[in-house]
Amino acid sequence: MEEKELTPQESMALIQSMIGKARKRYSDNSFFFLLWGWIVLVASVGHYYLSTFTDFEYPFIGWSLTIVGAIVSGVVGARRGKKSQVKNYTDKMYAWLWFSLGMAMFTIVFNGQLIGWNTVPFILLLAGVGTAVSGAMMGFRPLQFGGFVFWVLAFIAFRQPENYQMLLLALGIAVGYLVPGYIMKANFRNNGV
Amino acid sequence: MGFNQLDPLLHSQLRLAVMSLLISVETADFVFIKEQTESTAGNLSVQLDKLSTAGYIEIIKQFEGKKPKTTCKITPKGVDAFDTYVKEIQQYLKP
Repeated sequence: MEEKELTPQESMALIQSMIGKARKRYSDNSFFFLLWGWIVLVASVGHYYLSTFTDFEYPFIGWSLTIVGAIVSGVVGARRGKKSQVKNYTDKMYAWLWFSLGMAMFTIVFNGQLIGWNTVPFILLLAGVGTAVSGAMMGFRPLQFGGFVFWVLAFIAFRQPENYQMLLLALGIAVGYLVPGYIMKANFRNNGV
Repeated sequence: MGFNQLDPLLHSQLRLAVMSLLISVETADFVFIKEQTESTAGNLSVQLDKLSTAGYIEIIKQFEGKKPKTTCKITPKGVDAFDTYVKEIQQYLKP
């Protein structure tokens, strides 16, 4: 970039172009959607299968995968944050949004016994908030659509027994996390946006 | 024309480019700023120092492993100065 006297028009054009450059850099967050999508899908389908078709004492065993998920998310998130050349406010909001929702979900599940293990509808609602807001922040419609699917499923889940709630959760996670996650990944690979 | 009454610190191509980049992000790495502004490391360092001396930006020097890493962040004073500059430019552009 050369040093020269700027006209007002050139100043304005320069400001606009630089702001545009900084703003366009969205991060590819598909990794997190795919990680959690698969964890929840395996755990919820496993839970449904074990509680419906077997006498296994701990049908919820698959949910222990969420501990692995939380550790992997924390490590990968911190490493990406350190490596990234630029920190956007969007990324910061995004990280706090999901961290807060994660804490809320943990609180609900941890105290699940107190609400008769009727946790899934609440998890679906919170996942819907995170998915829809993330979609709006990134201008990515598949996620926004996923948010609505979560809310509809939460409505149904309130009226179902626990093992069917697990199937609704599996459906929600497939439509709300996995499908948008794979689309996001493909978009980044093909266009870098 | 009274163009010279504009903030001389901002009314320079590279410094204005840096400030415009930093206004929309929380922090940005030296390498990122260098790439986006297509400047040389030497010139960019000098201009960043000027902005930092004026209190418009904050320069954070850290080590990432053994590699030094310089990160820049706009200060509230810098945001105000940028805002004023943009308003003045808009005055000039008014028909």
